[in-house]
Amino acid sequence: MKQYVYRFIRLIIIITISLLALFPFYVLAILAFTPSSVNFSEKLILLPNLYFDNFIEAWKISNIGQAIANSLIITVGAVTINVVLSSMAGYAVARVKNKTNKIMFLIMLGCMMIPGIINTVPLYTLMIAIGGINTHWAMILVLATNSLPFSIFLYSGFIGGIPKTIEEAAIIDGCSRIGAFFRVVFPLLKPVTSAVVIINGLSIWNNYAQAVFFLQKQSMKTIPLAISMFFQQYGAKWHLMAAASMIGLAPAVFTFIIFQKYFIKGITAGSVKG
Amino acid sequence: MELKNKIISKLHNFMILPAFLLFSIFFIYPLLKGIGLSLTDYDGMTKANFVGFDNFIEFFKDHRAMNDVKTTILFALGSAPLLNIFGFLYALLLDRKFVGKSIIRTIIYLPAVISPLIMGYIWYFILQPKRGFIYSLIESVSGNALDFNWLGNSSMAIWVIVIVNVWQFVGMTMVIYLAGLQAIPEELHEAGMIDGASYLQRIRYITLPMMIQPIKINVITNIIGSLAVFEIIIALTDGGPGYSTESLSIYIMRKCYGSFTGYSTAVAIVLFFIVLIPVYISFKYLNKKNVEM
Amino acid sequence: MAIGYKIKVVVKTSYREGYCKMKRTMKLLMLLMMVVVLVGGCAKAADEVTIAQTDDKSSETTVTDEIVTIKLFTGKVETVDLMNSLIDEFNAANPGIIVEQEFQKDASNVIKVKFASGDVPDITTVVTQDYIDQGKYLDLTNEVWWNRIDPAIRDLCTDVKSGNQYKVASNMTMAGLFYNKAIFADLGLNEPATWAEFEDNLSKIKDNDSEIAPFFMGGKDSWMLGHLIEFMAHGVIKQDLGITETKAAFLANDDTKLQFGEVGGPMESFAASIISARDKELFNSDFLTATYDNQIEAFAMGKAAVISQGMWALGGIIEMNPEMVGNIGFMPYPAIVEGTKPVILSAEDSAYAITSDSKHPEEAKKFLDFLFQADNMVKYSEFIKSPSAFEDVSADWGPIKDEVAHALAAGVHIGFTNENPSGFSGDDAGRMVQELFAGEYKTSADFATAYKEIWDKAWNASNN
Repeated sequence: MKQYVYRFIRLIIIITISLLALFPFYVLAILAFTPSSVNFSEKLILLPNLYFDNFIEAWKISNIGQAIANSLIITVGAVTINVVLSSMAGYAVARVKNKTNKIMFLIMLGCMMIPGIINTVPLYTLMIAIGGINTHWAMILVLATNSLPFSIFLYSGFIGGIPKTIEEAAIIDGCSRIGAFFRVVFPLLKPVTSAVVIINGLSIWNNYAQAVFFLQKQSMKTIPLAISMFFQQYGAKWHLMAAASMIGLAPAVFTFIIFQKYFIKGITAGSVKG
Repeated sequence: MELKNKIISKLHNFMILPAFLLFSIFFIYPLLKGIGLSLTDYDGMTKANFVGFDNFIEFFKDHRAMNDVKTTILFALGSAPLLNIFGFLYALLLDRKFVGKSIIRTIIYLPAVISPLIMGYIWYFILQPKRGFIYSLIESVSGNALDFNWLGNSSMAIWVIVIVNVWQFVGMTMVIYLAGLQAIPEELHEAGMIDGASYLQRIRYITLPMMIQPIKINVITNIIGSLAVFEIIIALTDGGPGYSTESLSIYIMRKCYGSFTGYSTAVAIVLFFIVLIPVYISFKYLNKKNVEM
Repeated sequence: MAIGYKIKVVVKTSYREGYCKMKRTMKLLMLLMMVVVLVGGCAKAADEVTIAQTDDKSSETTVTDEIVTIKLFTGKVETVDLMNSLIDEFNAANPGIIVEQEFQKDASNVIKVKFASGDVPDITTVVTQDYIDQGKYLDLTNEVWWNRIDPAIRDLCTDVKSGNQYKVASNMTMAGLFYNKAIFADLGLNEPATWAEFEDNLSKIKDNDSEIAPFFMGGKDSWMLGHLIEFMAHGVIKQDLGITETKAAFLANDDTKLQFGEVGGPMESFAASIISARDKELFNSDFLTATYDNQIEAFAMGKAAVISQGMWALGGIIEMNPEMVGNIGFMPYPAIVEGTKPVILSAEDSAYAITSDSKHPEEAKKFLDFLFQADNMVKYSEFIKSPSAFEDVSADWGPIKDEVAHALAAGVHIGFTNENPSGFSGDDAGRMVQELFAGEYKTSADFATAYKEIWDKAWNASNN
């Protein structure tokens, strides 16, 4: 009996915290699905209508389609580079334990604590010198760099937990060690890779601080830039803003929901050991 | 052929190099330049003059800066422990098999998926005194207008910001604890139960010691994240009223753009140490615990 | 030992489990990558065209088919769409020139990084005294545009230090107090000449209907409070000294004229006025957290009797509630110091400068020529709802033309404060008003002292 009471209380708490987490999304949905003629602060609405005009209008005036394409290119590019480089580096840190590797790793970890703003002006000068303003490739490199330390940290921890015997077998079969890494070890890294992809993918997708400087052309704007400009231009029109935000948030939310299973596995694998 | 094979067989020694090279170009090089600037009076335009440690001295004499240090630390003192406590409790709550577990887990994590700036704007719409969603809700339910401005009162506003921040990122902390909990073998708990340990005792003597690694990750990332807080404050109070909820990161940005580039990099270095010290202490402490157990 | 073994097994099986499922994911990822590569490929092709054009530009020997790119950098969010359509027109008519507009909401900050790093736009709407002093802009004193421009606007565009004009303003703007005519008429209120009369009016409004905010400010947007200082407090100085002498006094930090710290001076009187109205609860109760948008909405919906705004707010008000058009009154700020007069902002708007680093000043001027054509100026003025600075342009710019004319006749005309020392922006001043409202200064004299201290400190920092 007592057990059932506990279970019931647990259930209630779980439902409450879930609703709490969903609350802003619910408010956003109400706004986005309400005709703009309804004044929210005067009349409280608790159920979303089925009114889609806000989305159509927001889509038309916000140019968010192009922003989604830009965000997609930059995110996929940066994440790919990040995964390749940091898995290699993580392997080096975990398996080739010499002083150079250790120092390089510590330097990069230490940099995680440095406020990014300190770099703004010098980085901007650098970007101009290499012709990187308003280009996808330079933005990809900058953002891939920013998330390197954390990825290497996750990879090295995970690789440290893999038995050495697996790659040693491959080396005996005639593989070089680097060959063994790509052929044997890398495929084993899928759980931690998916964690890296999701964590860094989200922070790159949501990046604002760098994008605001390096992507100035209107045709190069990413989703956070497009939405924040939209907020500026149509600040009083909450209904349109909510619709634009929902369009902009949707890709991240859906990708997350699709991949969340691997993500949890990756987190388990990458963070608990190491 | 021989030589090529030889090179390939050595290559694994240099696998960290590509990452480090990229990192050097896009992070370390600008960083060193930035640190150099902190010893100058560079205003972003004219020639920089070397001023030694004047910027640092100036910082400690500045009222607004000291208030921002206070705000930043206060925020971190509220945010980092709450994130860890709630993250841990959430994880304990979800560490059972039940129908819809993965859906619930996804839902709780969902807020962390969204950019804090945009999330902040949404919360501003909800919390805004007089005209926000909650205000309208209270008014229409109770019939009475609530005449209290929780974002306009400086001592109150900082806690509202803490709560919103904890709300947004508790899922992230939870997931890492959850991962840690799932790695604890069930036999241990079973053995504890046989020995007659209560639920709380099992948490204290079985769960916690096994959780040092996830605790380390969470504590450290939360300290770093909390002390660098930026977007959520911009969206909710813009640092106001006055400068009362301005964080050091915001101060650095405003000074950097406001013709005090050299000074702002000096402040960024101070912030680095403000982050480093608690991170170092908790790292040492948790490592010691790890060894003890 | 046994535990360690078990964990290993768990980890291993999870690899295997992940492996099978991963295959599908990998396929999905590959598909995604392909899409991206395709999209990216197209974008690249488009990029290459522009790159090719930029390359052409650098080899200036080829005169015939040289294409010049002119960058227009703006912080005026309200004109982005209109400007884009004007630019399209210009680009179509001038095959050798491509004008690109760049908008940044934080334009005054971003331009700094641009100047610092050499990525300088050709034309910009961001003009500050600092950059003028550093020679960042081209001298436009001898341009033909001035023949058509109102001399008063030319004065406002003049740099006091050199006597030259580094910016051209295409429009004028006015700022003062918008009020709800119906509310004023119902209660039989007249336009106040002094702050005491103004408070009387506001008290009557409050007593009549507690649902209506007598004086609504969106104090979260601190620039709005900064305007109060520029117009009301500095207005005391400005009306006394006139445009040129005021600018000179600010630049020299001439305390005998500014009297920032004096009791009974501009800052102290201003603070006393705000404190008094606050204590009588004549402002909206969410003064500190309301935004510009809230303010516009409250006024448009008849929930606010008076707001402090400029012509730039008109479009938003009328869009929100078209019926408000005939109901908008406009009056000067009442006098806050005895013996002074009400003031009204009548100043330059939409100012453009050409940077001295621009490689193509002639093309930049050509674009401004086009922009300043009478027909385009009519379009522009009607769009932003403010009168043109060009005397040959008669645009039907605003529905409250008559109210504005009336207010201009009733108050002394003053300009913006563009001479703040660079560490103490209008925004910073606005934050001090937030603190004042929040009760962080015990007396109005404390506020004046603090204001003078911060101003002096910033002035000393940039004048040494």
